[in-house]
Amino acid sequence: MKIDRETLMAYADGELDYMSAKRVERAMAAQPELAEQVAAHRALRTTLANHFAPVIDAPLPERLTTPLDETVVRLRGAPQRLFFFQVKSLAALAAALVIGLLLGQTIPFGGSEPVGNQEGRLVAQGDLVRALDTQLASTQSGDAATRIGLTFRDREGQVCRTFDGAALSGIACHVAGRWHLKRTSAREEQETPAYRQAGSAYMMEAAQRMMAGDPMDADAERKAMDSDWE
Amino acid sequence: MAFERDLLALLPRLRRFAASLSRNPADGDDLCQASIERALKSRDHWQAGTRLDSWMYRIMRNLWIDEVRARTRRSQTFVAEEGGLAVGNDGDKQTEMAVEIGNVGRAMEKLPAEQREVIALVLVEGFAYKEAAEILDIPIGTLTSRLCRGRDALMVHLGEAA
Repeated sequence: MKIDRETLMAYADGELDYMSAKRVERAMAAQPELAEQVAAHRALRTTLANHFAPVIDAPLPERLTTPLDETVVRLRGAPQRLFFFQVKSLAALAAALVIGLLLGQTIPFGGSEPVGNQEGRLVAQGDLVRALDTQLASTQSGDAATRIGLTFRDREGQVCRTFDGAALSGIACHVAGRWHLKRTSAREEQETPAYRQAGSAYMMEAAQRMMAGDPMDADAERKAMDSDWE
Repeated sequence: MAFERDLLALLPRLRRFAASLSRNPADGDDLCQASIERALKSRDHWQAGTRLDSWMYRIMRNLWIDEVRARTRRSQTFVAEEGGLAVGNDGDKQTEMAVEIGNVGRAMEKLPAEQREVIALVLVEGFAYKEAAEILDIPIGTLTSRLCRGRDALMVHLGEAA
């Protein structure tokens, strides 16, 4: 029985259907050199697999993981100019996360605290929810406790809004009826105007990265509110 | 976001694929990084519900082919660079390991690009013929003949031919 090389290889790779495989096996029983070739094919596969296997368990370099890290704001555009802001902002971000988790644990339901914890995610609550739900950037009063900045859709189609409050600023996205906090930055007491500006630039930069298309204008913002931010 | 998370989970496999296509780990990571950037940029082209891994492998393979073509055009420079890379690998054990690692790597490198990518997808990444053919956008008959020739060449280079 004649078995061509490609069929034999396909057999070694487990690619043949049942009937074809049986045919190869009968041929192998009669011709030991075929069995040897199958073994060689499999040995080669093992050699190659073993050779590259360590890559799977090797620690991933930061330059590969950072672009995929959702908690780090990407500043590919102008990294050097913004480096200073980034470091400061990340420290603030880390602080806000801790504050948020503490707040979430100590005051899990309601209250006027702006942040809660739902299944391990930071969510807006209390007054912050009210601001996010009902405030329009175009009509809000100048002395509102929390000011809404940009409203936009992210790449997953969710409506997101930047906000700026007395203690906390950040970006919240509307997911399944809740405002998930995607970015937060704690406000420090007696913050200098320069730092405040840096924090705001950081949020704008972050928003820009998340955004699909342009931010909403007043009209689109109102329409989004009318359809419950869905 | 789900897209980033799924990519992150794929990263070790993508890195292995990049390593099997590239001449050294640093080149592999360059390719991997370029692929991630390309994927993030063209995420709108990925259809939810289809296989993200196949899509990513295709992106990486296309970037690699571009690089191979560009490299062919400036091959002189690269030969010189490669000669330089072997220098400075001291210590008996390290040298021994480097040689052993080098055998498979060097054998892979001798393969024409179209055989090498097939070998990498099927024998290293473990894709079925059909899946690999889809990633490369070639008929399955073309895939099996390239795979067969690539294997023969590797066996010769590695001294495993019967």
